Amino acid sequence: MDSQRILRDFFRKTWLAYVISIALHTVANIIHVNFPKVLGSFTDELKAGQLSMDGVARYSLTLLAIGVGFAAIGGVAQYLVMYTGRYFEFMNRRRLYAHFTGLGEKFYSKNGVGKLLSYFMNDVTAVRESISMGVNQTAGASILLVSTIVMLLLTDVPVYLVAACIFPLLLIPVIVVYFGPIIRARSLKVQEAIGAMTESAEEQFGGIRVTKKFAVEQTMRNRFGETVERIRERQLRLVRVSSLFQALIPFLGALSLIIAISFGGYLTITNRISLGSFVALTLYIRMLMNPLQQIGNVINVIQRARASFDRLNDLLGKQPDIREAENAVEVDFSRSGIELRRLSFAYEDGRDVLRDISLYVRPGATLGIVGRTGSGKTTLMKLLLRTYDPPEGTIFYGDTDVRSLTLANLRGGIAYVPQDGFLFSSTIRENIAFYKRDSELRDVEHAAKMAKVYDNIIEFPDKFETRLGERGVTLSGGQRQRTSLARGMIKDAPILILDDSVSAVDAVTETDIMETIREIREGKTTIIIAHRISALKHADEIVVLDEGEIVQRGTHESLLAEDGLYRTLHDIQEEGTRQHGTGN
Amino acid sequence: MAQAINNWQADQKADLSEPKAKPKYISTFRALSGYMKEHRLTFAGFIACTLVAIAAELLQPYLLKIAIDDNLMVGKNDYSSLMLICGTYFALSISAFLFSYLQNNLLQKAGQSIVASIRKRLFEHITKLSMSYFDRVPSGSLITHVSSDTEAINQFFNQVVLSIFRDGLTLIFILVLMFQLDAELTLYCLILVPIIAGIAIAFRSYMRTTYQMARTRLSRLVAFVAENLAGMNIIQVFHQQEEQKKQFGERNNSYFRANIREIRTNVLFNRSYEVLNNLAIAFVVWIGGQAVLGVNGTTLEFGVLYAFITYIRLFFQPINTITQQWNTLQSATVAINRIWSIFAIEPDVQDQPKALSVDKDSIAGRIDFNDITFAYPEGTTVIRKLDLHVRPGEMVGIVGTTGAGKSSLISLLCRFYDVREGSILIDGHDIRDISQHDLHRIVGLVQQEPYLYSGTVLDNVRMFDESISREDVIRACEFIGADTIIERMKDGYDTKLSERGSGLSAGERQLISFARIIVFAPRILILDEATANLDSHTEQLVQAALERVSVGRTTLVIAHRLSTIMGADRILVMSKGKIVEEGTHDELLRLGGYYEELYRHSQGQHDAIEAG
Repeated sequence: MDSQRILRDFFRKTWLAYVISIALHTVANIIHVNFPKVLGSFTDELKAGQLSMDGVARYSLTLLAIGVGFAAIGGVAQYLVMYTGRYFEFMNRRRLYAHFTGLGEKFYSKNGVGKLLSYFMNDVTAVRESISMGVNQTAGASILLVSTIVMLLLTDVPVYLVAACIFPLLLIPVIVVYFGPIIRARSLKVQEAIGAMTESAEEQFGGIRVTKKFAVEQTMRNRFGETVERIRERQLRLVRVSSLFQALIPFLGALSLIIAISFGGYLTITNRISLGSFVALTLYIRMLMNPLQQIGNVINVIQRARASFDRLNDLLGKQPDIREAENAVEVDFSRSGIELRRLSFAYEDGRDVLRDISLYVRPGATLGIVGRTGSGKTTLMKLLLRTYDPPEGTIFYGDTDVRSLTLANLRGGIAYVPQDGFLFSSTIRENIAFYKRDSELRDVEHAAKMAKVYDNIIEFPDKFETRLGERGVTLSGGQRQRTSLARGMIKDAPILILDDSVSAVDAVTETDIMETIREIREGKTTIIIAHRISALKHADEIVVLDEGEIVQRGTHESLLAEDGLYRTLHDIQEEGTRQHGTGN
Repeated sequence: MAQAINNWQADQKADLSEPKAKPKYISTFRALSGYMKEHRLTFAGFIACTLVAIAAELLQPYLLKIAIDDNLMVGKNDYSSLMLICGTYFALSISAFLFSYLQNNLLQKAGQSIVASIRKRLFEHITKLSMSYFDRVPSGSLITHVSSDTEAINQFFNQVVLSIFRDGLTLIFILVLMFQLDAELTLYCLILVPIIAGIAIAFRSYMRTTYQMARTRLSRLVAFVAENLAGMNIIQVFHQQEEQKKQFGERNNSYFRANIREIRTNVLFNRSYEVLNNLAIAFVVWIGGQAVLGVNGTTLEFGVLYAFITYIRLFFQPINTITQQWNTLQSATVAINRIWSIFAIEPDVQDQPKALSVDKDSIAGRIDFNDITFAYPEGTTVIRKLDLHVRPGEMVGIVGTTGAGKSSLISLLCRFYDVREGSILIDGHDIRDISQHDLHRIVGLVQQEPYLYSGTVLDNVRMFDESISREDVIRACEFIGADTIIERMKDGYDTKLSERGSGLSAGERQLISFARIIVFAPRILILDEATANLDSHTEQLVQAALERVSVGRTTLVIAHRLSTIMGADRILVMSKGKIVEEGTHDELLRLGGYYEELYRHSQGQHDAIEAG
């Protein structure tokens, strides 16, 4: 993808706003530069004694008009640019979000939420700032600079005087550009130190029991004290350079003024320039200090934003790894069997996960998959759902390769219940009705009853309208899993996949749930993955996965009769809690 | 913007139920003034520098006035006095430069030292509090106090104090100079001050609401995206991309609108301020111009008018900056109140005024629980009239269901809490009479989840106590058989543990915590389910280490798995705060009570599976 696309798309939409804004900036600043000139001629007339009361009033009104004109027109220009800047954020966040929804698991396994959020927030904002500030300040400052020089030259001030006075001011952007990165680096160091102190506090409070038990509070205080001292040192280091910087800028302005007074004053005394021009010159110098400082800032912001800009372009350039085939088709899942033909799969990092798996699940049958952690069960599910792409010609629904199905058809046809029971911070009802948000409450309740979570839900004051997450109720692991189960069940899809979905549920409830599933899935294809045998012993066929291969297949009874992994697992689990935990 | 993510992360940790405190300004200053007194020289220096810096800055326009009126206006060809003015101007600007630099550095020096000592004091105070406090208050909110609240104090010095002195003095100085130049014109100008301040304050409060609105919407947006990124898998599998995009769009849009409102307010404010500024200048030119013309009988020198125009411009910036400080002041005040309310908390468990200092090595290790009763402050009685006597060197195993009072018994012996009734004696000393420091060195505790600190393995074993030599640490690790594991690590004993030992297995971490016990050699050892959650690889190592650790010490073992305590000298079965069965493994099995049932369970049937 064209790496400049973010900007091109944006400017294509907003160029008019920018043209108007720059035009307005120009007008505003041309008005503005008249201010010292008017005061200058006021001075001259006053000195010459030509001024009447009316003249004074006229001059005041002119000055007011200039002020209001500059403020109003410049304000509109500024608003336009800031507005488009925010629009840039808005548009690109929307675009990033849409892009995020298209990226697959492969991407998310490599990029943590924190990192992606920082793209989403910090990088977008950095680019926005550089665009907004870049246009606003550069336009404002450079127009002001040029028109000031022109204005000064139009009066009787000679070029060399202008050049001499402005020279120290021109050092301002140079200094800003020089100090900017240093200050930034040092303030980052301060942030780091604060982060280290927070971490240290977190660690100490987390381990307070241990600290107290060994009576080493004093040692730990010293350890914490070190992090506090580090902040102090770095803060002072920062202040040394930042206050130098802050003091330097007015100093340069003062130097300019000294040149103006000595040199300009000499020219005034010798009557080569008028007193009015002298006054105007000093006022122009004051006027220029700010914009010149801003130009320096812009350069720094743009430099910083470049890295952000590249990151964003890179991110948007990532192609989704799961894409619909061009002439994707749809199948009727209720009549299609699931077939795996010699499926082998390895992740990008070379881990071989599945080897030579062949399977057939006829429509309406129940398949159980059992195996230890790391045996490849979950990967198999990911391939069936195509959250990872299987090799071509290995997974078929009916006679159609999973890769030539439309994603809507595939994912509409399968209900999937993951192990972690991930829920969103919305209401319980919205979570259960995730597939069809406008489901009747009746259906939601029914699903909750089937998943044996109904009784828990109605104990909450807001029942199904209870909010989950951050500012709401926290469900226990088991409740989460059962809610997520209800979310899968309400879909009533032709194929249901349970991926260790009841691992955190107690044994009695588990039995109840599996019983219900058997009833409601009568005649519908169901795949149950489990690590506990009790969850799948009623399946029509059970396959045992070990290190990516099918090592055994059969029914519960036939597998128990064999001497193999299945029986070992069964024995361990039946023996209870000693080796294999409580399932929490 | 990075702030938004930080806020979001902080929100995840913070205790939201904490009531919002109302700022109390007076007590805040009283609280800080003690600290400020310590640095009174630095503050005096700061104020002196500020005065000089401001004077040097503000006298510059005055000089220009002299140049105009005395030299240029009269058209005298007196270049040498103009040069003198330039020389003075240069001297003034140099001193403005120098002293504003010093002023900042001095203030920061004092401010940073105060913040650092508040941080240290707060940390020290918190670590002195009793365990009951830590049970009650989530550590997230403690962390907020130590880092964010103290940071607010930092900003108080950085911004509020600086602005009050610098900008406040600037305003006063300008006024003085203006009066000096022309009292009448100054009085006219003074009409402007309340108007400027009024507009600034009105806009500030309006801006605060728009800013807060934007912030709330931003954090909602961040939370939504964070959650969706984490659950993208579910969204895709349920094919809900479009629906989620719609929901995202709503939030994105509402944030966008808040932004626009924010910038509209901003631009409007800045521009009205600018207009006001120009209005003020036009006003001065009008009034002053009349005065120069001598309309009202008095005449004004033009240079004075020029200086007025400059001063009026300088007037606006400080007023604007001061009004900006309100927010910072408010949050700093709230923060200070919160911190001082923590300082006000007294630890529940305290040393006696004349606490006994007991030499650890002179302790034989006899423990007497004499008819103790205990209840948590808010709850029901956990231990009732429990009487237990442990011989020096005895190993006692304790079993019982959750809530039977096993852990409470341990907490009492460690004096994390005090008993309600009865007493606990070690070698005949009531533990309430022994200093906590000594008691904690006498009684050692190994928990189910060993806690490691970020730092080297070596430091973790000796708990950062550098008076314990490297050799002692190595000897301890050899003794419990952890040396081979540690030597296999990247840098051996100097391996830095990342994120509290997340790279180590539970067993390896437990071995390190056993080594601590050997190094610190407590006379009484408590093992609180120390062998639960172990992988089979290290389980045997830990078992063996445990046996070595308990040799020669009075040892109390709390266990879920009976295998760890079968060999104990005595096993206690606790239920509802009482000891219900007591004896050796064989005796208890013969008794056919709860212990026997427990034993049967552990041998088979999976009905011990607990509800998730």
